[in-house]
Amino acid sequence: MATTTIPGGTIGSQIGRSLPRLEARDKVSGRAEYTHNLRLPGMLHGKIFRSTIAHGRIKSIDTSAAKKMPGVFGVYTAEDVRKVIPNPYYGPAFHDQPILAMDKVRFVGEPVAVVLAADPHAAEAAVQEITAEYEELPAVYDEIEALNSKVYVHDELKPAGTFADLKHLTGRKQTNVALDFKLRRGDVEKGFEKAAQVFEHTFRTQKVLHLAFEPFVSIGDAKRDAVTIYTSSQGPSFVRTEIARLLGLPENRVRIRVPYLGGGYGSKLYIKLEALVTALSLLARRPVKISLTMEECFYQITKHPCTFRIKSGVDKEGRIIARKCEVFWNGGAYADVGPRVTQKSGFTASGPYDIENVHVDSYALYTNVTPAGALRGFGIPQLVWSYESHTDMVARALKMDPVEFRRKNILKKGAAQATGTPVKHAPLEAILDRVASRLNWGKPFDKGTGPVKRGRGLAIAIKAVIAPTTSVAVLNVTADGSPILYCGTVDMGQGSDTAMAQIVGEVLNVPAESVRVVPRDTDVTPYDMGTLGSRSLFHMGHAVRIAAEECRAKIEALRKELGEPEGSNIPVADLFKKKYGMQAGNIVGSGTYKPDYIPPQPGTGLTTNVAPFWMVAGAGAEVEVDTETGKVIVTRLINVVDCGKPVNPKIVETQISGATLMQLGFTMFEKMHIDGGQVTNASLADYKIPGIMDVPAVMENEAIDTVQPNGPFGAKGVGETATFCCGPAIANAIDDACGVRITELPLNAEAVYRAIRAQQKTPLEDE
Amino acid sequence: MTPFDLREPTSIKEALGLLNAEDSSVRPVGGGTALMLMMKAGVFRPTRLVSLRKVGGRFSGIKAAGDGSLTIGAMTPLAAIEHSAEVARAAPVITRTMPRLSNVRVRNVATIGGALAHGDPHMDLPPVLLALGATVTIVSPKGERSLAVEDLLTGYYETALAKDELIAEVHVPAQAGRRSAYLKFTAGSAEDWPAVGVAVSLEADRDTIRSATVVASAATSKATRLKSAEAALNGARLDDKALASAGEAGAQEAEVISDVRGSAPYKRELIRVHIGRAVRQAMATNGAH
Repeated sequence: MATTTIPGGTIGSQIGRSLPRLEARDKVSGRAEYTHNLRLPGMLHGKIFRSTIAHGRIKSIDTSAAKKMPGVFGVYTAEDVRKVIPNPYYGPAFHDQPILAMDKVRFVGEPVAVVLAADPHAAEAAVQEITAEYEELPAVYDEIEALNSKVYVHDELKPAGTFADLKHLTGRKQTNVALDFKLRRGDVEKGFEKAAQVFEHTFRTQKVLHLAFEPFVSIGDAKRDAVTIYTSSQGPSFVRTEIARLLGLPENRVRIRVPYLGGGYGSKLYIKLEALVTALSLLARRPVKISLTMEECFYQITKHPCTFRIKSGVDKEGRIIARKCEVFWNGGAYADVGPRVTQKSGFTASGPYDIENVHVDSYALYTNVTPAGALRGFGIPQLVWSYESHTDMVARALKMDPVEFRRKNILKKGAAQATGTPVKHAPLEAILDRVASRLNWGKPFDKGTGPVKRGRGLAIAIKAVIAPTTSVAVLNVTADGSPILYCGTVDMGQGSDTAMAQIVGEVLNVPAESVRVVPRDTDVTPYDMGTLGSRSLFHMGHAVRIAAEECRAKIEALRKELGEPEGSNIPVADLFKKKYGMQAGNIVGSGTYKPDYIPPQPGTGLTTNVAPFWMVAGAGAEVEVDTETGKVIVTRLINVVDCGKPVNPKIVETQISGATLMQLGFTMFEKMHIDGGQVTNASLADYKIPGIMDVPAVMENEAIDTVQPNGPFGAKGVGETATFCCGPAIANAIDDACGVRITELPLNAEAVYRAIRAQQKTPLEDE
Repeated sequence: MTPFDLREPTSIKEALGLLNAEDSSVRPVGGGTALMLMMKAGVFRPTRLVSLRKVGGRFSGIKAAGDGSLTIGAMTPLAAIEHSAEVARAAPVITRTMPRLSNVRVRNVATIGGALAHGDPHMDLPPVLLALGATVTIVSPKGERSLAVEDLLTGYYETALAKDELIAEVHVPAQAGRRSAYLKFTAGSAEDWPAVGVAVSLEADRDTIRSATVVASAATSKATRLKSAEAALNGARLDDKALASAGEAGAQEAEVISDVRGSAPYKRELIRVHIGRAVRQAMATNGAH
C-alpha cells in the first residue's frame, strides 16, 4: 500500500484496478435496461411533424385529415400544449425554446405538431397527413452573417435567470448575439505595436453531431399532481428542476428515471424530449413515449460550428507577446447551453501559452439551423483546432521548429493562465515532451516517395473544467454489509458506475464488484449537476468518497460502541447482528462536493480561481497524403493526456481511444451538409462516422504518470481530453507532408486535393 | 416505416404471381439492405414486399462450368460469393472486391441479384460484372430473356427490368487470358459509398494492352463504359503516357455528378487517376485471368 497525502488517504486494492465494467455482461447479453425497451400500460407513441422551412410565421396547421386516420388517438400543436403548460418555453441559459413551435418556426426540422397513437406506425402514417402553411421569412445560417444581419431569429432575448453573466441581455431586441464573453489581460494593441511580427489567420469548423447509437427517447407519465419521466438523459437533476418549473410543481412531485444510456456525448443534457412527452401525457392522460429515429437526431442538437479569427504578435526571440481571439459560435435556433460553451471555452481560447497581453471576444449567435449544444469537449476542440494550427503556421513562418516554438511559449508550472489563474497540476511540458519523443521528433523521418508524401505533426491543449458545480451521493451499508450507492452520475458507456464502485470499495476495503450502484432515479438518487464536461469522476468521486468515509466512521463507531477491540476485523454483518439481535439495520453516509471558485470579473474575465482542475492533452499524428487524390491516411495517432491517477486504467485507455476516434471522424470527413437550411445528408447512409477500417494502424494512448492532489485518490476526469488535439495534429502533419495548409474542417480528400492544386497554381474549378 | 404485406413465396411461379406489373408499391426484395434504407427514409413506402429468400432452385448457388464460366443464382448472398473457391478461380477480381464492399453484416444478407436490380450507381458489383461482360437471365410471367449487365443498367436507380420481372441468374463468361481490377475511392469513411469506382478488364499481349473494357461508377448516374478510354488503351503499351491519355479521355467522357461525396470537377480528377491505377493493377495480376 502506497501512502499519499491526497483526499481519500491511502490507496489500496481497488483504485488502479482494470476492473471490467460491472454492467458489461448485462449489456452484451441484452439484459441491460434501456428506455427504448420500456413499455408502460396504456402507453401511446408520439410521432413528430416537423417544419420544412428554416424561418417563417405559422399561418395555419391543418390536422383534420391526420385526426381521421385509423388508430389515431389525437393530434396536438402548441395551442394544445398551452392549455397544460401556459408558458411552454424551456432551456438552461435562455427560456427560448417552445415545446412545440409557437407562432414561428426557426429551423428545418423543428417540431410543429405530434400525432399520438397506440401503434407507432399509425402515428407515423398520420403525420404524413398534416399540413402547415407558413409565411416564409428570410433566414440566416452563417455565424458571421448572423452577427450583423437584419434577420433576427428571436424577437427578444429571454435569459433563464440562472446565469449572472446573461442578465444584461434581458429584453434585448434586434440582435442574434446570445452572449458576448470578454477576456482582457494586459493591453493587446500595445503588445502588437511592440511585436516584431504579427500573424493573423481565420479558421472554421463545420456542423457535426453526436450520433449516440441510442437515439433520443423519453416517456412521460403525468398524473394530476405528479409526473414520472423515463428518459435517456445525462442530467436527471436538471430535468427535474426544469419540468417542475414548467408545471409549477415542487421538485418532489417530479420523478426522473434514467437507466443505462447508449451513449450521450453531451447531446442528452438539459431538456430534449422530456417537456414534450410531459405535455402530451397531460393532454392525453396516458403515458406517452417518443423515440426518435436516427434520421431525426439531425434535428435535435449538434456541435457548434465556429469561426475563429486569431492574431498573434511575436517578438524577435519568438515569444508570443500578444494574442487576440475573436470566436463566433453558431448556436442554431435555440441557445441550449451554447452561451456556456461560449463563456467557459473562452477562458482558454488563447491556448496553453504564457502570453502577456490577451484579448478574447467570444460570441454565441442565433441562426436558423438545428440548435447546437455541448459535444465532448464543450467548444475546446474547435478552439484547439484553430490555435494549434495557427501555432504551427507561425512557427513555420518564423522558421522555428514547432516543438521548440511551443516550448518557448508554453505555460510553465505556476504561471498565470490568461484568466489570471495559476496553472497547477497541468503537466503541459511533460506532455509535449512525451508526444515529441514518441514521434522521434528531431530525428530523420521518411517523407515518402512518388505521389504519396508522409508527414508528422503535433498539438497540445488545455481546458478548465466547468465550475462551480455540485454533486451529492448517498451510501447505504446494508445489514449483511453489502453497500448500495445512490448517485446521479449517468453511466452512458463511460464506465462511471464501475469507477464509483471502485471508490466505495477502496474506502470500505471491499471488492468493487460487491457494490450495488442504483440506477438513476431522482426520487432516490440525490442531486448532481449533470454528467458532462469530464466533471463526474472528480466531483461525484469526491461526494462518493465522503459518503463512504462517513459510513466507515460510523462502522468504526459501532465497533467501539459494541466493545470490539481497536483494529478488530469483525465483519460488518456480525456487528449489525450484535447490535440488533438479528440481520437488521443499516448505516447511511452522505457526501456533498462543491469546489472553491471565484467568478471571473465582468468585462475582463479575470479570476484567480477559474476551475478546480485543468485538463491537459497532447497528440501526435503521422500521415500519408496521396497527392494525386488528396486522400489522407493517418498511419499513427498518439494521444498523451493527464487524468491524474487512473482509477481504472483500462477504462482510461478506452476513453482516450474512443474520444480521439470520435474526433478523427469530425476531423477527416464528418459534416452536416446544409442547403437553404435543409440538411441534405440526414441519415447514416449519407453521414458516415468512423468504422473499424478508419482506425489508424498504430494508436498509442497514454495517461501520463501524475497525481491530481485535490482529486479523489488523486484522480480527475478524462472523457473529453483526447478529443482536443487530434484535428490540428493531423492538419500540421499534412502541412509537413505536402506543404498545404487547410484552415477549415473537415480535412477530407477533396479539400486536401484542392489545396494541393491551388499550391501548384492550377486550382481545380468549382462545381 | 409504415406497415406492409410481406410475402415469402417458395417457387418462382408463386413469386411472379405476387408481383404486379402496374403497381410500383409492390416490389421484390432480396437481402433488403438497400430497400430498408429507402423505407426508413420514407422515400419508398411499399404495400407489399415479395421476399425471394425461400424461392431456392436456380435462384441460389454458384456453378462453375468446365469452360471457366460462372452461373450465380441471383439470391446468392455476397458472403457466399466472397468465400467461393470457384469464384476465386474463375473471376478473382470479384473475390478481391468483396472485403471492401460495405461490411460483413451487409455481405451476409445482400444478394448479387439485388445489387444489380437496385440500379444504384454506388454499388461495387455492377461495374465489376459489367467489365467482365456478365449477362443476366430474367424471368417473368411471359417467359425468360437474357440481357447484358451493360444493357440492364439504364440510369440512376433505373434498370431495364419490368415490375413483374426478376433476375434469376448472373452469368460471368470465361475470363481465360483476361486480367481485371476494380478500384473504389471513398472520400470519407472507408465504409462510405464510393465517390468513384473504376473497373477494368483487358488482355495483355506482353506489355501491350488489348480489348480493354473500362467502367466508371458512383460518380456517374450508372455504371458506364468509357469507350474513349478503352480506345486510348487498346494497342497501347503500358506506360505513363498511355495511362495519362486514357485517364484524360475517360475523365472527359464520363458524365460526372456532384453530391455530398464530392464535386464533379474533383470526381473527374479521381476518374483520371484511377483509370491508370486500375490498368496497372490489372496488368500486374496473374496472366491466367
